[in-house]
Amino acid sequence: MAVFWRLSVSCGAKGARALFLRTPVVRPAHVSAFLQDRSTPGVQHIHLSPSHRSGGKAASLHWSGERVVSVLLLGLLPAAYLNPCSAMDYSLAAALTLHSNWGLGQVVTDYVHGDTSQKAAKAGLLVLSALTFAGLCYFNYHDVGICKAVAMLWKL
Amino acid sequence: MERFWNKNRSSSRPLSPHLTIYRWPLPMIMSASHRGCGLVLSAGVSLFGLSALLIPGNFESHLDLVKSLCLGPALIYTAKFALVSPLMYHAWNGIRHLMWDLGKGLKMHQLYQSGVAVLVLTVLSSLGLAAM
Repeated sequence: MAVFWRLSVSCGAKGARALFLRTPVVRPAHVSAFLQDRSTPGVQHIHLSPSHRSGGKAASLHWSGERVVSVLLLGLLPAAYLNPCSAMDYSLAAALTLHSNWGLGQVVTDYVHGDTSQKAAKAGLLVLSALTFAGLCYFNYHDVGICKAVAMLWKL
Repeated sequence: MERFWNKNRSSSRPLSPHLTIYRWPLPMIMSASHRGCGLVLSAGVSLFGLSALLIPGNFESHLDLVKSLCLGPALIYTAKFALVSPLMYHAWNGIRHLMWDLGKGLKMHQLYQSGVAVLVLTVLSSLGLAAM
């Protein structure tokens, strides 16, 4: 069965987003009997989860943001080793907590089902990330800072 | 999706065995490990940040406490290795993920090649960093 997908997203009724799949699908006849083709043959409606209701643009920007921060964090690791300083400490704190927050957000999206549960989990996650960031900034300001701390720990 | 989960949860149908009967391919193990390491690393960072806010005493005093335990060099090396290997695995596998996002290396044989490369790099870099 050779299937070529071409997706075009459009808004459906009642806020549910419907994905129209225009597929020149070759499928056996008994399968077609089960799949309910609507208006045009070969076009199926798939409804995405409510989180996609907020718009493809926001989701797309979030995705790109995740990759940018990942690359940034990857670069910060050798940079912090080669040039430890206060600015590096705060950059690390920010990139670390943001990457962690977004990563844990994906875990929540994958395993926490239900609107209210997911909202509660995301809220709790935000609190945790905010506190973590605050703690790291406190450490950078009042204590030795992340770069120096790692150096001191490694000299143990 | 909510309708899907509600319908299936309330029907109390038995779940077909999947994880317990099929072989686990390497990419699957590595993907789960990537997430696992991310969770562990996040927990570590959060613990560090929160303890800076909540636990009295500065970093140096805590380090002195560890120094006073007079742990052997082998144990210290092992501890450093244990600290640095989830970070290294997550970082190298992260690069592999970013390559996929660029559309590169998605063929089956490339998946296994890059996977093994990540594992080798993880071990080597962890051994090297723990020795520093």
